[in-house]
Amino acid sequence: MKKKLLGTILAAAVTASMFAGCGGTAAPAAADTSGGAAATEAPAADTAAADTTAAADTTAASTGAKQTDGKNLPELTTEPMEITLWDIATEEPGRPIQEAAVARFMADYPNIKVNQVHQQNDNYKQQLVVAMSSGQCPDMYISWGGGPMAEYYKSGFADDITDMYNKYDHPDFIDAAIAQGSYQGKILGIPFGSLSGCDIFYNKTIFKDLGLEVPETLDDLEKVCATLKENGITPFALANAPKWTGSMYYMYLVARHSGNEEFDAAYTQEGSFGSEAFLFASDKIQDWVRKGYFPDGVNSLSPDDGQDKQLLYDGSAAMMLHGSWMAGSMSSDNDEWYKENIGVFRFPIDTEAEAKGVPQNVEIGTAIGNCFNFNSQGDQAKLDAMYVLATQYYNDDTYNQQQMDSFQTPSIKGYEEQVTDPIMKYITDVFFNASNVQLWYDQYLPASVTEVHKNSMSALFGLEKDGKQIGEDQDAAMKAAIAEEQ
Amino acid sequence: MTQKTIKNSSLAKVRSKRIGIAAAVFLLPALALIAVYFIYPIIDTFVISAYKWNGISADRTFIGIENWVTLFHDKLFWEAFGHNIIIMVFSIVLQIPIGMLLATFLDAGGKKFNFFKVVWFLPYLMSSVAIAFLFTYALATNGGIFSSLATLFAGKRVTVDLLGRSPQALFAVIGVMAWQYTPFYMVYFIAGYGNIDTSLYEAAIIDGATRGQYVRQIAIPMLGPIFKTACTMSLIGSLKYFDLIWNMTQGGPVNSTELMATYMYKLSFQQFNMGYGSCVAAAMFILITVIALLFQKVFVVKEDY
Repeated sequence: MKKKLLGTILAAAVTASMFAGCGGTAAPAAADTSGGAAATEAPAADTAAADTTAAADTTAASTGAKQTDGKNLPELTTEPMEITLWDIATEEPGRPIQEAAVARFMADYPNIKVNQVHQQNDNYKQQLVVAMSSGQCPDMYISWGGGPMAEYYKSGFADDITDMYNKYDHPDFIDAAIAQGSYQGKILGIPFGSLSGCDIFYNKTIFKDLGLEVPETLDDLEKVCATLKENGITPFALANAPKWTGSMYYMYLVARHSGNEEFDAAYTQEGSFGSEAFLFASDKIQDWVRKGYFPDGVNSLSPDDGQDKQLLYDGSAAMMLHGSWMAGSMSSDNDEWYKENIGVFRFPIDTEAEAKGVPQNVEIGTAIGNCFNFNSQGDQAKLDAMYVLATQYYNDDTYNQQQMDSFQTPSIKGYEEQVTDPIMKYITDVFFNASNVQLWYDQYLPASVTEVHKNSMSALFGLEKDGKQIGEDQDAAMKAAIAEEQ
Repeated sequence: MTQKTIKNSSLAKVRSKRIGIAAAVFLLPALALIAVYFIYPIIDTFVISAYKWNGISADRTFIGIENWVTLFHDKLFWEAFGHNIIIMVFSIVLQIPIGMLLATFLDAGGKKFNFFKVVWFLPYLMSSVAIAFLFTYALATNGGIFSSLATLFAGKRVTVDLLGRSPQALFAVIGVMAWQYTPFYMVYFIAGYGNIDTSLYEAAIIDGATRGQYVRQIAIPMLGPIFKTACTMSLIGSLKYFDLIWNMTQGGPVNSTELMATYMYKLSFQQFNMGYGSCVAAAMFILITVIALLFQKVFVVKEDY
């Protein structure tokens, strides 16, 4: 009997300790890689939270002249104030750039102290949820727009800054960037990352050796793939463990076949994820999988470990559809090799769809790597200070130049002209020539649908379900999410 | 005489009352901690499971048992539960016998085998997250141990995809779990062997028993209670398992390694569905308690003869 009791208590205690863990900070290192932004680069290694006050103190000697002088901005308080800021800049080069921006702000406004906390990207979103639910939400924090930002806003943790944005000075952000930081027409976020296009990187040397041309149409692309395969080279380097990587192929095929039309219809469920373009994309992908155009074991390869670019590096694969942050990543791995071997081209066009008048310049990507949301809880003085910090110190010339130096193009008009690296230049041009930029599905869709979409991508590349089945799964999830909204 | 009895009994009363007060004072801090960190969260989990709540917002909507109804029909949850049961069975079948074998070997060898003792214990000292990363590399299709070995023997490029496909992903993970936890049971059984009085061994040898007979007929039966506790721990551990799986597969590919805990985590923290996530957590609590109780019950019956 005693043992029975002991067993019960043991069971209860062990189980309970787990629930308790959920409420605390015991969030495990979740390898959440859904963010497609440049910042998701940061590998899961370094220690997190660092305070940058030390860096600021050295420059805190105020000279009186501020870099905001003469601009149309709110008058900031002279009372002491503290702002808690959460970002995910744990790694070079983002970390020093962002710390410097905060340091410049504090030098100009010595009465305002900014506690800049660098969270680990992997479990940042969970940390934020826990912080919000326990009343510890930071004053300003990084987000990626989309579904999660909408949740923060609806729960009262993201200020609507539309009026401030219209009234005061701000950088001349590109429209798509502001659109992505908005929810239902309300501006919630100030961008401070960079735009990310999505294009196909390829090994120029292999193409030259095999006498291949850069493909312009899907038919050309398939011919290139066949030739590569004949020569024992895997056409595409894809690591689909986190699923959003495989989704890029799916999204592009849908976009080339129907522009934005069918996706938009599926999103409202006036159409369906089982409509023609989606089936076209699924069939194409599964055909390519069967022909061996993707690496074996594609679903267990992980881009976090660089397993996709490794295939490109060792010459066993020739092409890789990926976000533009990959350029910086490859360049920092081995700049010489990168410059010598890597080229880029945009996702080939679908001539059949083009003949039917479907625009072939809808691109996939994100206009903002990320943005700051503000949680002033009605404290206007604080909101003013945060607005000035986000628009005038982040996003100032120094900041933007440093961004450019590290292969990132700010989402501000005019910067596309200044890109010098030819590959980044090409990617930026493709981005700016787009008739529309479709945000990654896994950020655009509601969180519950994202999960289903991502699983669908595993199933698709693993040949476990066909286009019709994943269409039905995604439709069901989307319908449920819409019902939830109402 | 009567008076004496009365006096005695009242003294006893006073004493027992004092002991009661002292006990209460000493137990209070521990009880307070348990109440705050165990009992309150459990109750709160059940409370939240009756709400529709995104986990952030101040307002929650009371929806009664709606979450529970959904849970009852939720194919994914029961699939995850099934995976937990598979893991539970294989954990008990793999980890405990192997741990026991290793312990028997080390016990027989005495100090000579101290080196093995240390080396075999190492996996348990590593954190689950580190193990997960280690094995993601080891099992990778691209330069992982299995793929490389297969390529070596086949003479051409062969890919062994252990984590990317169903159902082998689940079994690959079970293997890694066994690698991680077997050392724990090994040490547990070594301690068990250490607790057996040496005089029993000496008596057996004097009676003419061989080492093998001693192990089979004396030592192993004496380990019975330890064996049962080990099974219970393994059972509970595998039903609430989370960290290794989360870091290796995140429940994928296509939910084939989804466990109740990973499902709960995804719902609560990724899909902004804290109410339903709590419902899953509460269901886990109930299921684990029931299974652990049943297990205990079966063993108590066996103990009687």
